[in-house]
Amino acid sequence: MNSADLRYPQQTLVADYLRAAAGVVLCGAPILLLDVNRWLAAFLLAGFALFALFLVRTALRHRTRFVLGPDTLCADGPVGTLVEWNRLDRLKLSYFSTKRDRSDGWMQLSVGSTGGRLIKVDSSLEGFHDIVERAAEAAKATGAPLSDATRANLRSMGIVVVGQEEL
Amino acid sequence: MLQFIVRRVLLMIPTLFVISALVYFIIDLPPGDCVTSQIEELLARGDPDAHARAAELRDLYGLNHPLWQRYLEWVGGIFRWDFGLSCQDTVPVADLISERMMLTIIMETSTIAFIWIVSFVIGVYAATHQYRLGDYVASFIGFIGLSIPNFLLALVLLYVGKVYFGLSIGGLMDPEYIDQPLSWGKVVSVMEHLIIPVIVIGMSGTAGMIRRLRANLLDELQKQYVVTGRAKGLPPMRLLVKYPLRHAINPFVADIGGLLPDVISGSVIVSVVLSLPTTGPMLLSALKTQDVNLAATFLLFVAVLTVIGMLISDLALAALDPRIRFGSSEK
Repeated sequence: MNSADLRYPQQTLVADYLRAAAGVVLCGAPILLLDVNRWLAAFLLAGFALFALFLVRTALRHRTRFVLGPDTLCADGPVGTLVEWNRLDRLKLSYFSTKRDRSDGWMQLSVGSTGGRLIKVDSSLEGFHDIVERAAEAAKATGAPLSDATRANLRSMGIVVVGQEEL
Repeated sequence: MLQFIVRRVLLMIPTLFVISALVYFIIDLPPGDCVTSQIEELLARGDPDAHARAAELRDLYGLNHPLWQRYLEWVGGIFRWDFGLSCQDTVPVADLISERMMLTIIMETSTIAFIWIVSFVIGVYAATHQYRLGDYVASFIGFIGLSIPNFLLALVLLYVGKVYFGLSIGGLMDPEYIDQPLSWGKVVSVMEHLIIPVIVIGMSGTAGMIRRLRANLLDELQKQYVVTGRAKGLPPMRLLVKYPLRHAINPFVADIGGLLPDVISGSVIVSVVLSLPTTGPMLLSALKTQDVNLAATFLLFVAVLTVIGMLISDLALAALDPRIRFGSSEK
């Protein structure tokens, strides 16, 4: 298996930058321009901090490339880290949606190897399916525990990890 | 998760703006305004200056300005905690609602805590003791709670409390503490007076939650993995808490968002019946007199609480069970 260089598509990054900017402006502008009540100001500041954090995270994603190799998954960027597949001990695949019927959502994969930091990637990343497939293989080999939700989400992607029952 | 929180919070902001506009414009839709009824009263008394007084009041409340301008002034004032003047007493809305809002928040929070705690305990008990005496009693209480309107229950308890126990149930504190600064005695008095309203307002919500939790848990308890766990010798409590309860609790958590508006709207009539100094009776009177600033402020608070409740419920669900649903599609 050759290494693959994976990045978030420009379109996803632009959408996230716009969301962060909209939030920063909507929460920050009243604090700067109006005489805001202190309790409301606390709420707005919390919102401002949340969107500022999201802006930083988006910028980090923008400057990070993921290298999927036969033995490792490497996040090469300002806060880079490495996951070794043969030492994988954490795998979580979550599904999020903002709609009431939970449609049009996105997946998030968190993987980590012994002693290392987690790598989190969203399904908008190019080659996301390949990473999940490789992570599932590694989880099967190392016996990393998988939650019910993770197994259900893996199944929905056509990936079944046998011998991973929690009981 | 950060992405999820950001998207949900970002959706909340326009939602609240749209709700505030709808509320403000709809309250103003009926013909006339809040001055109309006051002037009719003056005219009935034969006051010759009634029309001059009407013009004066309309000027004071800004009713001469177009609706959109009044709305923008009201929205702009929210950031300064200034909700304009109330037509009922010609005092700032912020002064009128402050104490009542605090008592309402205390009452609604206690009601929601009551609903969760009582329905969780009874719901789990009823499901794990199906078709036993406890289950029948819980089901009976559930049906009673669902079928009796809150205000009727309030009237019955008011009568029973007064006639048989000599208790004064109305109000949220003893008369000697009204308009007094906060003290330990006042806190104790409020807590004593909270018991009946909390039971009355929380009754139907509790009953609904008990039935839902019981049904969900029974579904889970009959699944194959529970039988397997039992066959493997897992202790009953561990088997219950670790798997079926975790799954059964999801719809329970999803209901948090809907609970807040239900409790608030349910408490309006009960507050009138029990003479509770909460926002309910004031909202009712504000709607009747077309006091747009006051009514819109109350309804905006309800909307904010609902939206926050929905956010909490969605975040809790996303943390508890982040799994894809059948029929939903991954991007």
